[in-house]
Amino acid sequence: MREMTFINAIREAIEQEMRRDDSVFVVGQDIRGGVYPHTLGLIDEFGPDRIVDTPIAETAMHGVAFGSALLGYRPIVDFMFASTSMTAFTETAVMSGQQYFLHGSKQPVPLVMTGAWGIGKRTANDHAMPIHGYYSRAPGLKVCMPSTPHDAKGLFTAAIRDNNPVMIPWCTGIMMLKGDVPEEPYEIPIDKASVKQEGSDVTVLANSEQLQFALKVAIKLAGEISVEVIDPISFAPIDMETILTSLEKTNRLVVVDEDWESGGFASTVSARVMEQGFDLLDAPVTRVTFPNMPIPGGYMEDYLRPNPEKIEAAIRAVCA
Amino acid sequence: MSLTKEQMITLYTNLVRADRFGKMMYSRMMQGKLIGFYHPADGAIAPGVGACSFLNDDDILFPHHRGHGITHMLSKGIDVQPYIAEHAGKATGCCRGRAAWHYAFPEHNVYGTTAYIGHNFVPVTGFGWAAKRNAKGQVVMNCFGDGAMGTGRAHEGLLMSSIWDLPIVHLCENNGFAIFAEAEEMHPTEDMATVAQGLDIPSVVIDGQDVFAVAEAVNAAVDSARSGGGPTFIEAKTLRFKEHDIGNRDLRGWKPRPQEEYDEMHKRDPVLLATERVLEDKILTQSVIDKIHQDAEAEVDAAVQFADESPIESPTEEELLADVYAPR
Repeated sequence: MREMTFINAIREAIEQEMRRDDSVFVVGQDIRGGVYPHTLGLIDEFGPDRIVDTPIAETAMHGVAFGSALLGYRPIVDFMFASTSMTAFTETAVMSGQQYFLHGSKQPVPLVMTGAWGIGKRTANDHAMPIHGYYSRAPGLKVCMPSTPHDAKGLFTAAIRDNNPVMIPWCTGIMMLKGDVPEEPYEIPIDKASVKQEGSDVTVLANSEQLQFALKVAIKLAGEISVEVIDPISFAPIDMETILTSLEKTNRLVVVDEDWESGGFASTVSARVMEQGFDLLDAPVTRVTFPNMPIPGGYMEDYLRPNPEKIEAAIRAVCA
Repeated sequence: MSLTKEQMITLYTNLVRADRFGKMMYSRMMQGKLIGFYHPADGAIAPGVGACSFLNDDDILFPHHRGHGITHMLSKGIDVQPYIAEHAGKATGCCRGRAAWHYAFPEHNVYGTTAYIGHNFVPVTGFGWAAKRNAKGQVVMNCFGDGAMGTGRAHEGLLMSSIWDLPIVHLCENNGFAIFAEAEEMHPTEDMATVAQGLDIPSVVIDGQDVFAVAEAVNAAVDSARSGGGPTFIEAKTLRFKEHDIGNRDLRGWKPRPQEEYDEMHKRDPVLLATERVLEDKILTQSVIDKIHQDAEAEVDAAVQFADESPIESPTEEELLADVYAPR
């Protein structure tokens, strides 16, 4: 099969969906020039009516997408860095999420929001911050994230075709990761977790660059501890069924997430496993997350960020 | 551009209807029959009537929150009965009793209102963008107050409408107050229109108590937007006869507004002024005017009856949860 980078897989999803459906367009800042490669060159085929650059005004920029989605378009709003969507949080989280249900579940809001995040590039809080935790608490939004090139194309395709507001950030740490990507358009379900490595002793949930770390740890521990690695893919809603099915086999759970420790995906999964699968557990659920502090720049982030050593230590602790 | 006799009759009729609906909403709120808040539009109904009476059904409207946009919607030709029911939390409400008072009528190109002042500038940017790309001559009517002009959203929305020549009419219904705070204290200039002028948007400042003056200004702006002329900013200077929201105090800054202020304001009641004008210009006779008032009252009574007789839905938690996401 054809190999492609993660970021180019996103680009191909956008390109193919724009060719398929004239109502799909992208709005963002300097997307014509292509600050990141996933919009690079799209201006040549689709022109400025469908690759729309705005002033640095994130709220009204989101409005171009939100308002046009209500009139039947299928916009993708690209915040460049996912953190800058926080500038428009009332609109991205509150207004987008509540629009459909509060108004009687009559009119869909087909809106895709995206942006880059990534700890490990020494860029500090403003550029690095994960946002899936913030948005997964906004009712009415779907929040999902790809962790492989194959899933990147399939998830972006599915998000564009979905009739709901979907926040789909992507991680700079795996931007140049290569993998097999089919040429034809395809969808990956945006609300289903994906088992990436089967195992029988412990379940590890990990996403983005941490998924790569978890898979490496699983290989390292093979023969000693059998690790099942699951990519949650969806952070709202959370696919508990896949997680609980895995726990029936492994009875142990480590949740890895670069989001902050408090109130995020790892906390929610821990609580739900306690409520829905307490009897399945042979050990307490263990979380490997970023501590509750601003993400420092430079070399300081190395001392705080989840990494293969921390994942291995957590696995050994729950299996002890 | 002068108005035709028929247009003046339409405006007068809608003004009376808006006035009756507003008075009904006030008394129903006092009776405890409305859910949530009500922000009365008494004294400030002429801008909405003048702005919306000649819009097409496929024009897009973001109504002002004052009077909860009833003025704007009924002028646009929307049957507001389902909104009166919505405000009472009923199953027949336009949002199935879920919105309380932040409604939407997507079938008539009204896509929702909000508690976030200034938010209107966000979706209208997209409405304008889509209307321009649709190229069917649709116009967006964006209604807001002087308070909204303090937000960054106003700057962002005006900016994009200007650089892209979007077909948007920005209607600032300036009543001089944001709750208690006076516009003259919270803004550096007397006219909000100066902000739009700074962004190269053609602007006019008009008497918002005169429904005919509003309609003339708006019709010109709508014609310009429809024919590719881009946005216009219309500032209608209006008045607020009552408190910001029912049950609140009515202060100027932190002191009660003096009685003389109310007495003076009521001389500029938009219905009073319009009645004088249609009689003076021999557009309507007193007996026809009486009939318009009677019809408006009957329309309001029917809406109240509809709301009162409608049931309250009683779904399960599971049924409501199943409605959070739209199907594929």
